[in-house]
Amino acid sequence: MTRREFMDELGSLLDELPDKERLDILADYTEHFLMGVKEGKSEHEIAEALGSPKALARELLAGYRIHEAESNASVGNMTRAIIATVSLGFFNLVFVLGPFMALIGVLIACFGVAVALLLAPVGMYAQYGFSAVSQERLLLLFGSMASIGLGGMMAVGLVGLTRWLYRLFLRYLQFNVQMIRGK
Amino acid sequence: MNVQFKKGVLELCVLVLTAGRDRYGYELVASISEKFHIAEGSVYPLLRRLTQEGFFTTYLMESQEGPPRKYYHLTEQGRQYMNDLVLEWRIFNRGVNQIIGEGLGYDKA
Repeated sequence: MTRREFMDELGSLLDELPDKERLDILADYTEHFLMGVKEGKSEHEIAEALGSPKALARELLAGYRIHEAESNASVGNMTRAIIATVSLGFFNLVFVLGPFMALIGVLIACFGVAVALLLAPVGMYAQYGFSAVSQERLLLLFGSMASIGLGGMMAVGLVGLTRWLYRLFLRYLQFNVQMIRGK
Repeated sequence: MNVQFKKGVLELCVLVLTAGRDRYGYELVASISEKFHIAEGSVYPLLRRLTQEGFFTTYLMESQEGPPRKYYHLTEQGRQYMNDLVLEWRIFNRGVNQIIGEGLGYDKA
């Protein structure tokens, strides 16, 4: 593979990156080629030692996506980061997607409980509220307050927990990208 | 050699190499691949990440011959991180060596 071929392939594989990022990456490899040639190596040798542009592009894309999700937290960015990491290989499909699904499942269940606690008083009042005798009314009142309080605290806690898990999961993605490929 | 281990090692090498003076990419790749075989291209994604995390700053400098080079400068934060990694590595290395020594019976000789 000549320098031209290598750079063209890498460039087209990094098509989805913003221009600035892509050009910066390509400049690094161009510099590498020029230095190698200056040291008397052939373009083929250099390209060979660099590794396949496909593997490099996947790694660079995953790195970029993870960084994006880190500096700009959103469901979309996290999804893109996960997809990019999963595309690195079958290993990551199992070890990234699996834990992620489990985590999301648990979080959704917890949010469900919080919402149920917040909404429970509505049901209680709908069923007994306004016909109840005075003692039961008091019980209903305290019961509702407890339920709302608990649900509220849980919701606040869960929002914090979600943020923390978001960052933690990105670390985990990063960790999964980091396998040295030899030859 | 079939190299398939965590890039933590590569990260450690890159950080340590820049501890003494600023280096450019090709130089880093060359000093590492002289010691063990890697897909050389993957040093650059690593350098990008370490730069994004604030462990390196970069600058371009013209060279007498050849293209301008992008130099990597280890930041204070990077130096701290490197020290942590070196310590971890030493502990890990000593542990593995002890296990090898005991397993192969070197220490009984």
